[in-house]
Amino acid sequence: MTKKKTAAPKKRSKPSSHRHTPGQGHCVDLLRQLSAYIDDELPSDICLEIRRHLGACPNCEVFIVSLQHTVTLCRHRPAPQLTSADRVNMRRAILDAANAR
Amino acid sequence: MHAPASKTPPQRPATQEPVEFDRLYRDHVDLIYRYAYRLCGETESAKDLVQETFLNAYRGLKDFRGEARVSTWLYTIASRACIRMRRKRKGEPEHELSLDEFVPTSEGEFRLQIPMDGLSPEEALQNKELRQALDQAIDALPKKYRMVLVLRDMEGLSAKEVGTIMGLNERAVKSRLHRARLFVRRELSARGITNHDDHKSGGLRS
Repeated sequence: MTKKKTAAPKKRSKPSSHRHTPGQGHCVDLLRQLSAYIDDELPSDICLEIRRHLGACPNCEVFIVSLQHTVTLCRHRPAPQLTSADRVNMRRAILDAANAR
Repeated sequence: MHAPASKTPPQRPATQEPVEFDRLYRDHVDLIYRYAYRLCGETESAKDLVQETFLNAYRGLKDFRGEARVSTWLYTIASRACIRMRRKRKGEPEHELSLDEFVPTSEGEFRLQIPMDGLSPEEALQNKELRQALDQAIDALPKKYRMVLVLRDMEGLSAKEVGTIMGLNERAVKSRLHRARLFVRRELSARGITNHDDHKSGGLRS
């Protein structure tokens, strides 16, 4: 499933041929640096350049917001908790396996 | 609190591991279960992974010198065990994600949104469909990308710690993380998440 999905865009067109305005080259450059930007890992001059571009390019602005939302959702994704019985049963199983060599 | 009764002074137990192991297990089992669940996506596999992790930790406890944090050591054992277990089960091929595949090829694709207007992440994730979409997107990630995303964005480790656990340099960790995030963003967006008409039901287009 994943294979098919990821293979498809390559066939459609070359990445450089995407159409959006303004500043196509900047948009692709920006896309490569978005995580570093979100994580505040870029030098201040590059951050300034990116902010300027975002102010002038609504597409990139929407894109970065959606990526930020993605990261936020991941950070808050809930995980279930073990019950006390699970903890006890697993401990016993581990020690049994260890002692069985 | 109370002085020990007239017993002899405490001695090193004949087998020290169980005592140390119990402490290790008690203090870290919830952490490792959470990590395992996030990697596996379901409870039984997660429990298997926890058991495998602590069994290996039990066996390696006497050699652990404390050079890394205990949690880092356990994350490393769990990550390796996960890779071994998945290989055994599925033999799933590693799938590389290229940045090029995430470059939008149309304006519409560029502007796909994940609306969370005015919602806290917790509120947004109360939406079952959104939560399922997120789970499925993460589950669809090739495992080496999923592992980085889980360790960095869900477990909250630094890129350096993730690198230590996975045997990667920081640059490689960041590269995988970026691709993983772009993948999840695209999967979520591709499911047609619409604007929330109301905060409770905001749904996905089928």
